[in-house]
Amino acid sequence: MHRVLAIASNTLKQAVRMKLALVFSLLLLILLPVMAFGVTGDGTLKGRLQTFVSYGIALVSLLLSLLTIFAAIHTTTSDITQRQVYTVLTKPIRRWEFLLGKFLGILTLNSVLLVLFGGIIYGVVMAAPRFYRDPVHHLPVSPAEAKELHDQFYTARARVLARPIVVTDEEIQAKYDRLHNNQMLDQFFPGASVRKLKERLRGIILSQKSSVIVGGQRLWEFDNIRPQDPNEDIFVRFKLDVATTPPDEQIYAKWAAGDFRRVRRGEETLLFERDLKHPIRTFRELALPSEVIADDGYLGVLFYNRPQLNQTVVMFSDGQRNKAADEHSFSILYRAGTFTGNYLRGLLVLFFRLFFLTALAIWAATFLSFPVAVLLALVLFCTVSISGFILESFTYMGKGLQQIYGGTIELVIQALPQFDKYSPANYLVDGRLIDWAMVNWASWTLIWAMLLMGLALAVFHYKELARDTS
Amino acid sequence: MGLRQRLPPARRGAEAGNRTRYMAYAVETIGLTKTFSDGWGRRKVLAVDNLNLRVNTNEVFGLLGPNGSGKTTTIKILLGLLHPTKGQALLLGGQGSDPAINKRIGFCPEESYLYKYLNPRETLDFYGRLFGLPRRVRRDRIETLLEMVGLTAVASRQVGTFSKGMARRIGLAQALINDPDLLILDEPTTGLDPIGTRQIKDLIKTLARRGKTILLCSHLLADVEDVCDRISILYGGRVQAEGRVQELLEQADKRQFTTGPISEAAMDEIKAIVAREKVECSISSPRERLETFFVRTVAAARRQALPTSGAVSTTEIGGFLAAQDRSDLLDGLVRGGMEGGRGEDAPEGPKVEPAPATPRDDSVLDKLTHASETVSTRPDADLQESSETSESAEQDGAARELPQRDVLDRLVDRNPSSEGVTKVSDPDPKKGEAGDA
Repeated sequence: MHRVLAIASNTLKQAVRMKLALVFSLLLLILLPVMAFGVTGDGTLKGRLQTFVSYGIALVSLLLSLLTIFAAIHTTTSDITQRQVYTVLTKPIRRWEFLLGKFLGILTLNSVLLVLFGGIIYGVVMAAPRFYRDPVHHLPVSPAEAKELHDQFYTARARVLARPIVVTDEEIQAKYDRLHNNQMLDQFFPGASVRKLKERLRGIILSQKSSVIVGGQRLWEFDNIRPQDPNEDIFVRFKLDVATTPPDEQIYAKWAAGDFRRVRRGEETLLFERDLKHPIRTFRELALPSEVIADDGYLGVLFYNRPQLNQTVVMFSDGQRNKAADEHSFSILYRAGTFTGNYLRGLLVLFFRLFFLTALAIWAATFLSFPVAVLLALVLFCTVSISGFILESFTYMGKGLQQIYGGTIELVIQALPQFDKYSPANYLVDGRLIDWAMVNWASWTLIWAMLLMGLALAVFHYKELARDTS
Repeated sequence: MGLRQRLPPARRGAEAGNRTRYMAYAVETIGLTKTFSDGWGRRKVLAVDNLNLRVNTNEVFGLLGPNGSGKTTTIKILLGLLHPTKGQALLLGGQGSDPAINKRIGFCPEESYLYKYLNPRETLDFYGRLFGLPRRVRRDRIETLLEMVGLTAVASRQVGTFSKGMARRIGLAQALINDPDLLILDEPTTGLDPIGTRQIKDLIKTLARRGKTILLCSHLLADVEDVCDRISILYGGRVQAEGRVQELLEQADKRQFTTGPISEAAMDEIKAIVAREKVECSISSPRERLETFFVRTVAAARRQALPTSGAVSTTEIGGFLAAQDRSDLLDGLVRGGMEGGRGEDAPEGPKVEPAPATPRDDSVLDKLTHASETVSTRPDADLQESSETSESAEQDGAARELPQRDVLDRLVDRNPSSEGVTKVSDPDPKKGEAGDA
């Protein structure tokens, strides 16, 4: 172990003395305050904090990822090309100890910088309400603002999705029969097979059920809502999309929330009702008192498209049943943890990313020269960072291409740890709980890192080190 | 680990030897062959061709040959940095990639591939840690080694700023940090000034006397001739000639007399005696070795320059220049010698011979070998550690004076008793020298 540590501390010294770490740190130190004081968001303190956290975390994550790739590849390839390995590996050290030392050195550097800059962002965020004065009136944060911050930012809220929309085969069959009887099937879908037709009809019914016509209403039903504190509000998170844009870009809504099972049975129950107007096409949150939740965790939320005030169909994005749309779905949020705990889990996610990248970089460095290894690592880094987007793009491909990519690249990307699955910045901005399901992702990432390190060790073990003098 | 390091080298060797099969030779290659091909398997180059080398324990073995004759390739295979295409390469009876073997080996590659961002002390500390040497042993050995290679004064400067010769000295020091049983030196004297070269050769001889095996790889024939017991000349990856230096070079059918200045009459008498034996006879003054001449000339030049530099060194600029001088080992060495030899006559006469290493050199090496014992029995060891900075500053000062004077004493031999002594020797100068030792 002392040999591994000797290599690790030497690697750390290299990164520090070659000023690589210094340059990255300076960049962060310059850019972070720019974002803290320069970016205003929507003008409110909450908006400023959200942009600061979002950009800050993203920036720290990006710069540390790049630092990892460059530092890890440099330290490994330069030892080979500048031939320090001649004197180091002829000492009583095994090659795996050498690589492991490199890995630990870079990981230590990352951890120190992550804790440092994570700490700076945390400090700024936590101190902000005390020092904030609004730019116009130079007033401190009002109690209402403070409550909003407390409820929607300094929190870690669990998210519950509504029961999915059910489209039964009978409904599809009924629609099919109706169209068939009216001779309209061939008119709209010429030459399609019955199976294809039914698939499309299902989609049509689904979007019909997820949108609300003028004067219509829609009920979402939730289960298992269990807030920690019964005195705290819970939040409905939604986005209103419209078929035709109203002149004031607002939708007038009537909301009702409560135990709609009792309403159906004609029993008395506590209902929360509000008439509100909301801007369209942006995420909004509606606060509900937690008394409206039934004892067994059930909650129904009803939206009514008010006929005198609106002239358009309102659509909600929970009709599509894929992962990407889940993020935007109609949901309930409630406090399930502290901001600090959530923030730490966020940093942990970043740590696992860096752990994976270190292994990836060292693996690339064992068989490629510096520029090629950096290129490969960067391409893979970008791939795992936008894996969701890439995977989605496959679905828009032509049939032949899809078959080629589906079997190969798509499988690889799906197997790789997808960084965009757990983007800590997104969670923290919305005050959303990074739950322990993250552990699954983390363990998958660790397995990958170990796999790559294993490959690296195997390659390095058999490598003719005196051969590569390029 | 600590206990292990404290074992004397002989026992350590035996212990590691038990683990290996058997050890007939310190270095052995059996039918070693290495071919290089390009990435597509074409254009094969035969670098080493069925090489059978055998280096005995406690032997200074020279691997000679022109550039590209396979010397370095052989060494890289021995150390496990290249894989043999065919055959076997054994170090101390085991594989060069085995840590148990590596523990007993020192390797100084053809160039010093060092971490530029470390200073000499950190460099040696890093290598010491790879051997698992305890902190105190490391500290002690590092100071000794820095002193030995004359880099104590610059021990806190980044290696990246060093000249080739200075880097070379660290390269050598790192090869000695574990007090190896087998030392492999690839072109050890390239980039070194004559005095540094001379030091390395003396070091090799001293180590050989202490029972170490040295595999030397060089194309500087003078160096090899001076220190090697046996040599092997490689060409095209094959051994062209092999044997004891003495036997290979000795002209057995000739004899050489060396005398002090003698009269014409005496010379005629000797010629007459030789004529009776019916062999040819020629008489001339023997030539001095250029190396010896060089060392002496530089020493004399420095002595003349000394008053000037002494005067300047009282001012601030002078102090800075003096510091510069200190960083240059050659200057430092020679100045040290001058201070020691001030007031004495310059060495004269043709009889200046390279002297064998003095016992003092052994004491430095003894310190290296038994560093752990020295430290563990020293009562004020803790005290020293706490005042490390001031101590090392003092050592800097001391190191500039003492060991360098010592080295020069050896290099510029001022032994007047050699005057008038008549020696009979073979033409090989090495033989006479060995007799002295």
